Amino acid sequence: MPIEIPKDKWPGSIRTVTIGATSAEGGTRAKTVTVGGGTTMPYLHFEAPTPNKPAIAIEIKSRKPEDWSPLLAEVWGAAMADPAQWAKKAEEAGADLLVLALTVEDSPEDAVKAVKSVLGATGLPLIVWGPGQAEKDNELLVAVAEAAKGERLVLGICEDKNYRTIVATAMANGHLVQARAPMDVNLSKQLNILISDMGMPKDRILMDPTTGALGYGMEYGYSVMERLRLAALQGDAMTQFPMIVTPGFEAWKTKEAKVGEGIPEAWGDWKARAIHWETLTALALVESGADIVVLRHPESVKRVKDAIGELVVA
Amino acid sequence: MYIIGENIHIISEKVKEALANRDREFFMDLAVRQVEAGAKAIDINLGPRKKDWAEVFPWIVETVEAVVDVPLSIDTTNVDGMEAALKKITKAQPILNSTSAEPERLEKVPLLAKKYNAKLIALTMKSEGIPVEADARVNIAVEILIPRMLEIDFPMKDLIIDPLVLTVSGCQQYCPHLIEAVRTLQYAWDPPPNISVGLSNVSNAVPNENRPLINRVYCAMLMGVGLQMMIANPFDQKQNEVIRWIETKDTSTPLARVYNKIAERIANSEEPQMEDFDMSDPEQVAIWKTTQILLNKVIYADSYLMN
Repeated sequence: MPIEIPKDKWPGSIRTVTIGATSAEGGTRAKTVTVGGGTTMPYLHFEAPTPNKPAIAIEIKSRKPEDWSPLLAEVWGAAMADPAQWAKKAEEAGADLLVLALTVEDSPEDAVKAVKSVLGATGLPLIVWGPGQAEKDNELLVAVAEAAKGERLVLGICEDKNYRTIVATAMANGHLVQARAPMDVNLSKQLNILISDMGMPKDRILMDPTTGALGYGMEYGYSVMERLRLAALQGDAMTQFPMIVTPGFEAWKTKEAKVGEGIPEAWGDWKARAIHWETLTALALVESGADIVVLRHPESVKRVKDAIGELVVA
Repeated sequence: MYIIGENIHIISEKVKEALANRDREFFMDLAVRQVEAGAKAIDINLGPRKKDWAEVFPWIVETVEAVVDVPLSIDTTNVDGMEAALKKITKAQPILNSTSAEPERLEKVPLLAKKYNAKLIALTMKSEGIPVEADARVNIAVEILIPRMLEIDFPMKDLIIDPLVLTVSGCQQYCPHLIEAVRTLQYAWDPPPNISVGLSNVSNAVPNENRPLINRVYCAMLMGVGLQMMIANPFDQKQNEVIRWIETKDTSTPLARVYNKIAERIANSEEPQMEDFDMSDPEQVAIWKTTQILLNKVIYADSYLMN
């Protein structure tokens, strides 16, 4: 008996957002990354194709991080001490774009230098995060935004307590912003409204719903993502932004990924486990509609990339 | 609409201060003004008063009854405090606010109401919390609350079921279910129980400037399903106006027509439609947007009116 698969037709869609600018567009990137554009729930190909596949960003830092897992230090090696070297290795590892996370030790000059060196070392589009302290974020990101005018960077991270300065400098210098709310649909939407109300064009906002790692609240994260996506498809303009999430950061915080000693033997091989943790967290988020996943380990990047390849042709 | 005036509430800083000073004039004035504004009863929520209940509850009853004749709604979780207040009542049949379906409360509070011939507000809430689904709330009324009243021979006319309004800011999915619970509860028993809700809870944690609009739109929706009693702010003139428009089916102005249409749509189990509103009028656009968040059609955000 032939079975007709019921199809949803939604009135709304996800906005298409392009990160990075080539020389023709006023920047220096060798390529740009375009995400979003979805018109249905993720990967329901019988309803509509996936117009842009999710992109993978690799997170690097302006200074060698002392608190990262030894497994990450082992794989990135000496490159971790030099953002340009690290960026090159990340590009070789298959990143579609990069996240450069600045630190509290950076002066504005340091931050600009790090950003410039990364832009010089690779042709990938770039997301730049402040260190996560409001005053410092504003100080560094304003300097970076001005120095990299026209590159269509993504500046982050905007939160309800600190977004105005970052949005203003992004608007003035042709960049995008990453808007983060703490796993709450109402607060996500509220921040998007506030940022849009400042006059930020709607094709220059990425929303970051915040997530947790596998076993650490990921299900809250993907439930929020699902609700935001459904609202967007139903036509709510203030939830129609592509989503960026940080499974690398979340997964590598967990004991399961971070630590190799003082844990039950039954947990098995540390490195295998850690990479599984990051990969599975990222994949669950991709399947719930993430448009950009930010990862840390090159092996996870490879696996997530393969899986995305299968998802979009399925 | 039978409004139980909500303004004597310990959450207000002024009330807190007046109580600390045992300021009789303050409470008398607040009670009188609420009744003058249309309140049919006065809710008194001074918290549990764990230390000074024996003095505070009789004092407030005596103070308020000195100036108004309407029923007092004794709103506390402190059962001893409830009884101390009930003993002091000399005027209208009081209201006990409240019991829930939690075993310990359901054991004691209805007996107290019966002993002192008080009406009783019963919340559709069990120990494990408030259910989202309308049916689950009605079931609590039918399977737990009403049987308990029958068991102690409590008059059904004195039972008031409160299916619990929760805030659109954070519990948005509850808002449409509460409307359906109010609709269904009226068919849950014969004779039907009275139903009351705490209206302003719908806008808890909402920025102050948006609260009255959300309250009065929700009020119109709930009147559509037959709500006739609520704990609310009797000083809210625009809300009182909406109530009057719907009660008298007054459609003489565009806004009166809009609110009547909302009530009518909800009464018919329909959703308000964009064509019901004049979208060139910003006030009506705001009302339309408010219906959409209250029906959980559009995700609530503090700045939802800018959306």
